[in-house]
Amino acid sequence: MRIKKFLVLSSLIILVLTLSLAFTKGALGHYPLPLPGVRLLASWYLFTTLNPQYPVFTAMSPEAVTAIVWDYRGLDTLFETAVFFLAIVGALALMRGISLKSALNNASNRVGDGGLSLICKTAARLLTPLIIVVSASIALHGHLTPGGGFQGGSAAAVAPLLVLVIFSVYFLLSKGVSEKPMLILRTVGLVGIYLTALAAVLIGLFTGLNAYVFQNQPKPDAPLGLPAQISGALISGSLLFFNVFEYLAVAGGFTLVFILLSIPEEVVKSFIGGETHE
Amino acid sequence: MSELNTFLFNILLFSLFFNVGISLYGIFARPSLIKKIIALTIFSDTANVLAIAVGYRGWPSPSQPPIPPVITTTEPSIDDLTWFARQAVDPLPQALVLTAIVIGLAVTLFLVFLTLQVYRLYGTTDVRRVARLRG
Repeated sequence: MRIKKFLVLSSLIILVLTLSLAFTKGALGHYPLPLPGVRLLASWYLFTTLNPQYPVFTAMSPEAVTAIVWDYRGLDTLFETAVFFLAIVGALALMRGISLKSALNNASNRVGDGGLSLICKTAARLLTPLIIVVSASIALHGHLTPGGGFQGGSAAAVAPLLVLVIFSVYFLLSKGVSEKPMLILRTVGLVGIYLTALAAVLIGLFTGLNAYVFQNQPKPDAPLGLPAQISGALISGSLLFFNVFEYLAVAGGFTLVFILLSIPEEVVKSFIGGETHE
Repeated sequence: MSELNTFLFNILLFSLFFNVGISLYGIFARPSLIKKIIALTIFSDTANVLAIAVGYRGWPSPSQPPIPPVITTTEPSIDDLTWFARQAVDPLPQALVLTAIVIGLAVTLFLVFLTLQVYRLYGTTDVRRVARLRG
């Protein structure tokens, strides 16, 4: 059995190496991979991402990826956030009516003890604030350096996950990180995203000027726009706000799902009941 | 040097294609729902790396690898931008992969919840046994 596995694996590796060599030597036609240049669209994105000389096209962000995510192709990201929203709504619907509140009262004496060893707990105590700080830095610098709201939010959700695994779900709930605050955090983030998307339109309603949904920098027929800089600090218009609100929404959503996933089976059994299959 | 680069890049591409095949085998052939979800995440990650590889570009010069699509100054001149556009990799696949990762994570969590519910109701995650259940 072990020899068979070894043979399968090594033959796959040899096949990959041989095919790569054949392609490199031009035995199967000449394909100079990787291609020497990028497509014209990519060059255009790279050229205009932080280019005040072309105020109509620029996103005023040195980070081309964030500029594409929240400016050039902002509607894509809006609907992607909607998919994320629906997936978490689906998870919540499957766990509807199941609450840890009653179990928390029964198990209040279990908050302190349990969990992993003292070494793990001490390390987690030191690491959890660091993870939060690093994730906030990733999100707040998302328009300047690699990173952004999604990455920061996913990194921030690691901190409660660490506490869940190393201490217990009851410990996390006793610290105030439970379903309802996370739901509120996520809602605040989503509302913030939609308000930021409509910011230029809302300003346009009051000033009587033309504006577009998801507008970042001023356009020729829509002179409104969010400021690219505030007292010399580059905030790239709406990108900073999008990143911050997406950070809140993603961190809250994932923490919520992690808490729901870690509800003990006996608590869930007491809620769903019904006939059991053996 | 460029020959070696091409060879390494081809190894990356073919490994990804074979990885797609292996993960599809995992999705179709493994009976456990958890194993199917693991294979699905491998599949989506492979597709993401493949998309990133599509956006990669050949080395601008033999000693200069391509740079990430991030400008390192806040007030670049036109010369800086022209140089940047000739050196940096394609940012568009990276942006699409970024959204794909978050969607993939959310969908994976939803599938995990569905599997958990299947396990709670039927006591198994084996699709053959779940299919044989009546009622």
